[in-house]
Parts: sequence; structure tokens; C-alpha cells
Amino acid sequence: MINGGSRDDFIIAIRSAFLKKGNQQRFSLIGLIFFSIIILVLGSFNFKVVNYLKVGIKEIVYRSSFIVSVPENFVKSIYYLTDDHFKIYNEFNSNLLELENLKSKDLLNEAIVLDYQRLKNVINDYLIASEEIVAKILIDKKSPFLRSVIANKGSKDGIKLGMVVTENEYLVGKVVEVNYLTARILLLSDLNSKIPVRIEPNGIQSILSGTGEETGIIQYQKERYTIENGSTIYTSGSGDLFQSGIPVGTINDLDSPSIKGVTFFSDFSQLRFVKILSYKKTRFNVSKEVGQIERIKKEKLKAMKKNEVLEYEKKLEEKAKNEAENIVKEKKLENEKLKAEIKEIKKDITKTNEDEKNYKKLEKRYRSKCKKRLISVNFYKVGTPEYKECILRKGIKIN
Amino acid sequence: MIKINNTNKLNIILLYSPTIILFLSVLNEFDFNFLKLNYFSFNFNYILIFYYSLKKSKSLGYGLIFIAGLFNDAITGTPIGLTALNYLLICGFAGYLRNITLRPNIIKDWIFFLVTISVVNSFSYTLLTLVFSFQLDYYLLLINIFFTFLFYSFFSQIFGLFDKLIFGGSHD
Repeated sequence: MINGGSRDDFIIAIRSAFLKKGNQQRFSLIGLIFFSIIILVLGSFNFKVVNYLKVGIKEIVYRSSFIVSVPENFVKSIYYLTDDHFKIYNEFNSNLLELENLKSKDLLNEAIVLDYQRLKNVINDYLIASEEIVAKILIDKKSPFLRSVIANKGSKDGIKLGMVVTENEYLVGKVVEVNYLTARILLLSDLNSKIPVRIEPNGIQSILSGTGEETGIIQYQKERYTIENGSTIYTSGSGDLFQSGIPVGTINDLDSPSIKGVTFFSDFSQLRFVKILSYKKTRFNVSKEVGQIERIKKEKLKAMKKNEVLEYEKKLEEKAKNEAENIVKEKKLENEKLKAEIKEIKKDITKTNEDEKNYKKLEKRYRSKCKKRLISVNFYKVGTPEYKECILRKGIKIN
Repeated sequence: MIKINNTNKLNIILLYSPTIILFLSVLNEFDFNFLKLNYFSFNFNYILIFYYSLKKSKSLGYGLIFIAGLFNDAITGTPIGLTALNYLLICGFAGYLRNITLRPNIIKDWIFFLVTISVVNSFSYTLLTLVFSFQLDYYLLLINIFFTFLFYSFFSQIFGLFDKLIFGGSHD
């Protein structure tokens, strides 16, 4: 079966395997091996011809791979569809609860985000996203060792190296290779992926690394900082590549308390469409900002003055109102007094009228008792008030 | 006449079916990733190349294997030429085994396949980590080697059966 192990036979077998061109083979194996090594070496030195070859191969292969993968993608989508149907009821119930919670939190967040943006702007650290480019994932063939996907947008669409890739606002990875029509995205789960992160609620700064599987780990963590299970991880914004505050995942240290595992928010095995974007710093225009502040101050002063005038006018109005009310009160009292007087007068008039009537009635009868004569002492001259009274008293004298 | 031509075409397709399968395997994504099986991966291409280089080398030309390797590099993102080199080394090992084998034996093929993929993957790992500064998980690589080795026997039976049905089990 195997020749006695002699050195010659070994060399002959090796020579035959590597050097001899087989009957049906057009190329010698050793020739192709050397060719591969040459491509590898030149590729590592970024040799132009090899780079063109790379780009050409990639453009062909990515498109072909997408077409060839259609049946498998179909099987995959059916698998996910079936799986989703089984899970949908429970997910719906939990989603309802979550939605209620999120609605209430959203209101609070809006105010916080506005404050945050304003403060970031003040310290010249606020990054603004460039236009988002939506890309479709062509290939998500992950080798067991490298976690990357191919998107259908390339340099033609404005994709550049290092651009940030998100899915539903969750960080997915960054662009590590740009071709004319396609781009390679290095996922966060890849071993070679290292991004600066902030762990909330304690605000601990650290580095998130991929594990080569579906999860990540927190690296370079000092022991004196305690990271709680379930803490949320955001990008820290260090290095200005990522905007600060992009949600990444949660801490899940089920494996061991010393190694902090990270579960990503985004499911990298189900990526279909992603957003590719880059961030640039806003220029903090000092003179513009100062001018704006002065303008705001002036407006505030104007408003204050206006307020003072308005308040003075208001006070005057109130004073006038009080005075008017007092006058109305006084007039009312006077009115009442006058009414009472009128009433008295009316009463007097009525009494006088009655007296007049009685006087006329009694005058003839009691005239002789009251009329003054030449010799009588206690009598009165006709027409005087005393005479009238005497008549009304029916001639009875008071003394 | 037409019938003869069609038969010839079918024969050619069947003869080069390993090449077609190799390219399909390289280009498509059938890797069970969606099942989210942790610690499970195997390299079907290694099995196919080793088996057909050993048993039916005319079905799988070195040139086409080289191109398939370049395609695989483009898809997985490894440096261009590395997988091609791996594939060609596997062909070389298989050719050596073919030359020293007088009486084929599945167990010996299997053991030799383990040695082959161990050497090739070690070579690839060394190049990637030392020369190209890639970070790779060594355990995942070992798992990949283990499952590739495990599945060799299964796939070699299937390929053998396929050859028997189509070509009547003739080897070159």
C-alpha cells in the first residue's frame, strides 16, 4: 500500500503530486501555488495590479453570490417566517406592555434630548449625521472566524471607509472595505471590531470587542468599577468616529462575573437593510453665538421694560378702579340718605296735607275758641301757625 | 443527432458536477448560520476538494479550484489568494496520498484528511495572525477542523454513491 518509507519514494510521490501536471490538468499545482503566494504577497503591499484584480473579483463575486444565494435565502426566510408565527402572540402581548412604557418614557426623553443637544452644542461636541444611505445586504456569509456582510452600495453612492452602519438606530458595525458598487461591513461581533463605549447608568468608559460569535465582551475594564447586569451600552463618541449615544446592547454577564458579555440590540443574522452614515462636527461660530446671545439679552431687556410699563399701567388701573368703587359706594350711601330724607319729607307733606284738611274742617267750628279779640289774652291772630295749631287742638289751650 | 448532443451535454455537466458544486458552495451562503448553532461549523469545500482530488481528479481542475479560492476570499474577506493557496495545498496532499496508495481505504483517507486540514488551517491561521494581523478565535478553528473531519466520512459516502450511480464507480 505505502512504499516502504524510503526517502526516494517520498520525494517521487511529492514530486508527482506537486510538480507533475496530470493528464486532465491544464495547470501545474506548484505553479498555481506560487501564483497564489505572489498574489498574497503583492496584495499585502497594496500592489496596484493586485488591487485592480481584487476589485474586479469582488464586483463579480458579490453579484453572483447574491443570485446563487437566492434559494438559500428563500429557505431562510421561510424558516424565519414559521418561527415568527409561533412567537407572534407572546411577542404581541409583551410588545403592548413595552409600548405603554415607552410612550411614557418618550415624552420625558424628548425634553432630555433637547437639553442634551443644546449642551453638546455649547461645548462644541455635538456631531451631526451626514445624509443617510440605505443599503441592502447582499451577502451575509459569515465565515466561522470573520463576521462581516456585504452591502449593495459602494463608492459610486458616496460610501467611504469607516462610515457607521446602523439598523433601527442600533449600531451594527462600520465600513471596512469599499468597492465601486459594494462595501464590506465589519460587524460588532467580529473579533477585530473594537469600539469605544459608555456603560450606563454609571457612565463607565470602556472598549467593546467582538467575540467571533453572536455576542461581544467589555475589554479593559478596571476592577474598581462595578458594571451591573442589564446595563445599557452606548457609543462614547471618543475618537469622533461614532456619534456619542448610539445604542449598542446590554450587559449580560451570565458566563462569569469577571467577563462582561454583551448582547447586541441588533440581530446580525437577520440584517436585510441597513443605514450607512458618517458624522461630522458642527463648527461652533463664536461671533455668531455671541451675537445671538446679545440679541437674546436685548430682547429680554425690552421684554422686561415692557413688562414694567405694563405692570405700572396695571397698578394705575387698579387704583382707578378702587377709587371708582369707593365713589360708587359713597354715592350709594348718599343716595340712601337722600331717599330717607325724601321719605321724611314726604311723610311731613302728607301730615301737613292732613293737617290742612282737618284745619279746614275744624276752622269754622273752633274759630271762636282761638281767634284773637281785643280783650282776650290767650288767643291768636287768624292765619298764624299758632292759630292753626289751636284749631287742630280743637281750641284746647296748652299752658 | 440532437439526442446524442443532449446526452453529451448531460455527461459533461455530470462530469464537472463537483466543480459546479464547489462554485455553488463558495458563492452561496448555506452555512446553517440562521439556525444559530453555537460551536458548529464545517468546511464543505475542503471535503469536496480533498475527495475529488483523491478519487476523481479530472472532475476538479486545479485552475478552477484556484479561481474558487479567489472567490471565497472575496466573499469571506480574507486576503486574496489565501484560500486559493489552502485549496491547492489540499490538492497537493490529496495527490500525494493518491500516489502512495495502492489499496484505497476510507479510514486511512479519513486520518490523512485530518492531518491535511490541520496543517492547512494551521498554515492559514499563522499567516492571518502573524502576517495580516487578523484576530481569530483558535477554538472556533479547532471546532471547524473537528466537524470538517467528522463529516468527511459522511460526504465521501455520498460522493461515492453519486459516482457509482453516474459513472459506475470508475476512478482515474
